Amino acid sequence: MESRAQPVIKATGGVGWAPFIFLFPFLFFLSLFWVLPLLGGVKMSLESNGLGAVEFVGFKNYYALANDERYFKSICNSLIYTLASVVLIVPMSLWLAHLLQSTFRRLRPMLTFGLLLPALTPPSVLATLFLMVFHGREGLLNQLFIIPIGLAPINWLKDPNFILLGLVLQTVWRWTGFMTFFIMAGMEGIPKAYYEAAKLATSSRWDHFIHITLPQLRSVLIFISIYLLVDGFSLFSGAFILLGGSGGTADAGLLTISYVFQKTRFFEYGSAAAISVSLLPLMLLSLYTIILLRRRYI
Amino acid sequence: MKNIDSAKSGFLRRSVSTLLLVPFLLAVLYPFLWMVFGIFKTNHEFFQPLRIWPMKPLNGEYWMKLADTFFPNELSMRNIHELVIGKWVPFWDVLLNSMLSSFGQAIGAVALSAMTGYAFARLKFHWKNIYFVIVLALILVPRQLFAVPLFSWLNTLGLNDSIFGIILPGVITGLGVIYFTQVFRKIPVEYSQVARTCGASEFRVFLTLLSLIWPAILSYGMIHFVLAWHEHLLPMLVLSTESQQTLPIALAKLYDVSQRTPQGVQMAASTFSLIPTALLFALCHRKFKSSLSDMLVH
Repeated sequence: MESRAQPVIKATGGVGWAPFIFLFPFLFFLSLFWVLPLLGGVKMSLESNGLGAVEFVGFKNYYALANDERYFKSICNSLIYTLASVVLIVPMSLWLAHLLQSTFRRLRPMLTFGLLLPALTPPSVLATLFLMVFHGREGLLNQLFIIPIGLAPINWLKDPNFILLGLVLQTVWRWTGFMTFFIMAGMEGIPKAYYEAAKLATSSRWDHFIHITLPQLRSVLIFISIYLLVDGFSLFSGAFILLGGSGGTADAGLLTISYVFQKTRFFEYGSAAAISVSLLPLMLLSLYTIILLRRRYI
Repeated sequence: MKNIDSAKSGFLRRSVSTLLLVPFLLAVLYPFLWMVFGIFKTNHEFFQPLRIWPMKPLNGEYWMKLADTFFPNELSMRNIHELVIGKWVPFWDVLLNSMLSSFGQAIGAVALSAMTGYAFARLKFHWKNIYFVIVLALILVPRQLFAVPLFSWLNTLGLNDSIFGIILPGVITGLGVIYFTQVFRKIPVEYSQVARTCGASEFRVFLTLLSLIWPAILSYGMIHFVLAWHEHLLPMLVLSTESQQTLPIALAKLYDVSQRTPQGVQMAASTFSLIPTALLFALCHRKFKSSLSDMLVH
């Protein structure tokens, strides 16, 4: 981060023990509740399943994963789910933020709050409400949209072709308003002078958007995408309520965390930990990408 | 003349934007209204099939039927009463636990992140970059992924079935550290230099700066409160006694079909679980947005 060399002045502080006093509480909790469980996970993944006396089995759990179709299915589902939610939410919230910026000033807080409401609701409640919308035949979606355009009612949560789409729509419903809020906050931080200067060159709103708003919002957009990616991979509650902890028909909605949870239900702690550890390279790769991005764009 | 013209087109633009937002708002809010009205419905009313198609929307009967399924027949308080006296779950205990654990996590996270963020932004120490990469990794590896080893580690520490088993791991957050690092960078260096010249200790300087960034403290505390309020997986593993549990778990239990809880009770519990976060946000969302705007751009 602050890699450039700074002249040593006493006034910039941080001499002696001060930095470590400031960092100590964080590092203490970090090692106790994050580093140790992580190492514990690695150790656990090398041990046998079951509750009683566990023994060291080496990479056996990983070999088992390599032949586990459901494991690959769950990773694949999680990837699709996560990417789809980012691809849908980011442009939509950009558009909504733009619309909100150009509504009547007095209505704005109310409209924003309305859109935000799903983000404030516990995911389990959201899932239940969603269940009503997505219900087999009597659900709102079927009654208002699917049947009137002449299609057969879709059994959203039983038909393997639609389960993942249902989960994605739920995430879109949950996060779009919240991300809109972030983007609006970002838009309000852009100095008005930039737009006034641009008006001298062109009056096209689209050009203003492409050449001023979008570049100015890049740190917001990167932040949002990272947040959604991490949240997508760690989604548990929504899928747990909608599908009762299972993967749904033909595992079409099996996400990685749900699979980890399923393993722990049968006390297969070794396999569960192996799944978690096997995702670490993916995380490291994204970490590397973020560091590169920070260097270049932020 | 030109001014009036642009004011007119401004009004038109604002109206069009508002109209475009209406469908989104309806889609977001409809399930929530449905939830609130659901409190007063009997199971029979609740599961009334919504068979409005193939009636035509121009038909008066269509609207009658829609209103009939949407609004409750009478305002019966029975469901709220059953929830409040704890017939299905120990509601007040659960609510209190959720409050305590979320407040605890929010306060702890703000304190730790602010201290660490201050160190990153203002102090010099060795291997700063490495520490910062660790913080990024903390964001990228979601806690849910290592919930199982964390759970067994908490057991070893004797924190199982205790609210501290939820609060203590919940105070470390990578997002918070990054947020406060950015916040402290925005404060002109001269402020702390003046304080230091007056002979203030490093910690004294930090406390002085804290009073300047209270909107940021409030904002991050709020976000962390909401996230903690929604946490599902770890409390489910750690808290086993019913009166120790938090809201999302109690909700999942109510939703479980095998419990045969009346739908109205479920909806009442869902509504109550939304009130604290919604209230918090409604009260301070303006402060929140302006502090985000200050920070997000650049």
